[in-house]
Amino acid sequence: MTAVVDPPVGRTPPAAGPDRAAEAVARPRREFGPVRWVPRAVVLLALAWWALVYVPGTFAYSAFAADACIYAIIGLSLNIVIGYTGQLSLGHQGFVGVGAFAAAYSLTVQEVPFAATFVIAAGLAAVFALVLGLVALRITGLYLALITLVFGLTLEGSLFEIPRFTNGGAGQPADRPQFLFDDGRFYLFCLAFLVLACYVDYRLLRSKTGRALLALKENERVAEAFGINVTAFKLIAFTLSGALAGVAGALFAYRIGIVTGSGFGFFLALTFVLMTVVGGLGDRLGVIMGSSFFAVLPFLLEDSPLKRAEEAIAGVLSFGDAGTEANIIQFFPQALGALLLLLTLVQFPGGLAQQVRPFTDWLKGEPFDARALLPHRGSSGPGTVEGSSVRA
Amino acid sequence: MSVLEVRDLAIRFGGLQALQGLDLDVNEYEIVGLIGPNGAGKTTAFNCITGFYTPNEGTVRYRGQDVTTAPPHVKAAMGFGRTFQNVGMVKSATAMENLKTAQHAKAGYGVAAGLLGTAATGRRERVLEAKANAILDLLGLSAIRDERVGGQSYGTLKLLELGCALATDPDLLLLDEPTSGMGPDESDELGERLLALRREFALTMLVIEHHVPLVLRVCDHVYVLNFGRLLAEGKPSVIQTHPEVVAAYLGGEAPEALAQTHETAEDAALDAVTEQAVREHQVVEHRVVEHGAVEAVAAPRPRKAPVKRASTRRPVALDDPPTEELAVPLRPRRRPAPTRKDTSS
Repeated sequence: MTAVVDPPVGRTPPAAGPDRAAEAVARPRREFGPVRWVPRAVVLLALAWWALVYVPGTFAYSAFAADACIYAIIGLSLNIVIGYTGQLSLGHQGFVGVGAFAAAYSLTVQEVPFAATFVIAAGLAAVFALVLGLVALRITGLYLALITLVFGLTLEGSLFEIPRFTNGGAGQPADRPQFLFDDGRFYLFCLAFLVLACYVDYRLLRSKTGRALLALKENERVAEAFGINVTAFKLIAFTLSGALAGVAGALFAYRIGIVTGSGFGFFLALTFVLMTVVGGLGDRLGVIMGSSFFAVLPFLLEDSPLKRAEEAIAGVLSFGDAGTEANIIQFFPQALGALLLLLTLVQFPGGLAQQVRPFTDWLKGEPFDARALLPHRGSSGPGTVEGSSVRA
Repeated sequence: MSVLEVRDLAIRFGGLQALQGLDLDVNEYEIVGLIGPNGAGKTTAFNCITGFYTPNEGTVRYRGQDVTTAPPHVKAAMGFGRTFQNVGMVKSATAMENLKTAQHAKAGYGVAAGLLGTAATGRRERVLEAKANAILDLLGLSAIRDERVGGQSYGTLKLLELGCALATDPDLLLLDEPTSGMGPDESDELGERLLALRREFALTMLVIEHHVPLVLRVCDHVYVLNFGRLLAEGKPSVIQTHPEVVAAYLGGEAPEALAQTHETAEDAALDAVTEQAVREHQVVEHRVVEHGAVEAVAAPRPRKAPVKRASTRRPVALDDPPTEELAVPLRPRRRPAPTRKDTSS
């Protein structure tokens, strides 16, 4: 017989048999001429230039951009638990902290190679997440939220205070290697991890694991009837989420250079949940955008119209008392987050994802549809909060 | 050997004895009906059989293996496919996504491989998709392929749910009120469909059903539950006239509708038409031939050669003259081990 190495038949669409041909007739490809793709390509290139050249080259931006990437990874991690699996975690700052301390301790004290610290951080955080996942098997809803809250607070108050690992209040140093000293480069390094996290998230949704999580989120009995081991897949979700949070924690450690236990308080956990929900549960791009926004919020509050708005509001609310004004300014990000959360739940259940969909659809070649920008109640896109324990 | 053998099944919820001493057999290729008034324990029996409840007493055997305490997902992977009384699907997902989700146990790759996105995963995903498409074609639901399940009509949902149960690659199909929400015509159509599916997929079925003509039309054997106990069992024609069943369930005299369910020339003609319609969609299984190309395999697939059965119920044959053999499942039957009084004769 002829042992000619033919290209795989199934991969070449035209030669794939009558079925594929019929499908092509049924769904004709849109004409995608230069008029359609040139403006879109220009926008995409501009975005790429901004993200890959402009931001890393601008000293003032790159540190915050690295923060944005780290928060985005945390957002994706939390999205797996809340958005896909329908469980609530208010203890995610614990996993991030475990990852940060694991990286700092193994690098500085144990002198493990830089690359290996990420594996250690991911692994250790995954183990902690697995433990929390075991709790989540028994408890759901409000009580699970309470347990995860206590879990995070306990880690902050106990493990993160052990001097041997965390160097007490002085903090555990985590020095970047030579080639990452530059903030711009470090941002690109974080961006690479974000791309990796996106790939994992993409694969998750495209494989049986993501389908299993979405099924068990909606109806555990149906999931079981479909042959899904609900127990195992809940644990897989928590473990995967923990591993991602651990990696983000390691990046966080290298970002700030010295890890202290007090950096992983409850407010951080709250911010994580807020940014994920405001971004749009279940939507990758939305979550990344929401997370990035909350990451750069301190920067926006340093010098922007937002800063002046903040000062004006604080001035009015404090009736001229300087101490109160300082307090208000301190909690402004959280207050803004709460406001955005309210707006999301009531008016834009799809979160930021819903807001940017006209733009992303346009980039994919669809015409621009501005109607999607208007608030519509009871919308039921894939990123709705409905059905997740956030609303319960 | 029976496909399903339930012995002395009992379950209590607090003070309520929901099931008591239930014995039930389902043989290869049989369609067995489970009927009874509301609250009789039919769905509870289903939940015990499929592992959602753990019975207090009794055993459930599947092809000779004791599976009484096996969890539902293990049973699903073994070949228990089930539907729910109030539509069990992922409503926020599309029909296609549901059909792919339902193939979870037969996905053919691990979690890690799926996350890494290996080439083998991609090939398997294409196979899952091809099978889902084949099922949509078979049920005539291709139009709602990419639509969210939540917005569909109840009848469509029930049909798609049947498709999802088929996608789990079942050996034993447990259907909980498949015709609820359907009109009489749709119900009759579903009956024909069940017979056709049995032929095509070599299925064995246990069906909870209230639509009596359907039960009489498709079932080889019927169990009647009342207050958690077996009231009667036997072939449909016997059950139909069983005095206790009539009193407890059918109510008064045997309704007129029952009379027309016996085989007539008209029925035979209908069968022939259905047969043909089903033949046109004979793609029941897809096989990866090579390099990920998917080839439709049009042959019915008897899962196991009919083996010697412990039960003396006449076996249902899939291959020999289908229309006559399958259409009228009224056959003499005797219980194998009369451990309790046979109430059907």
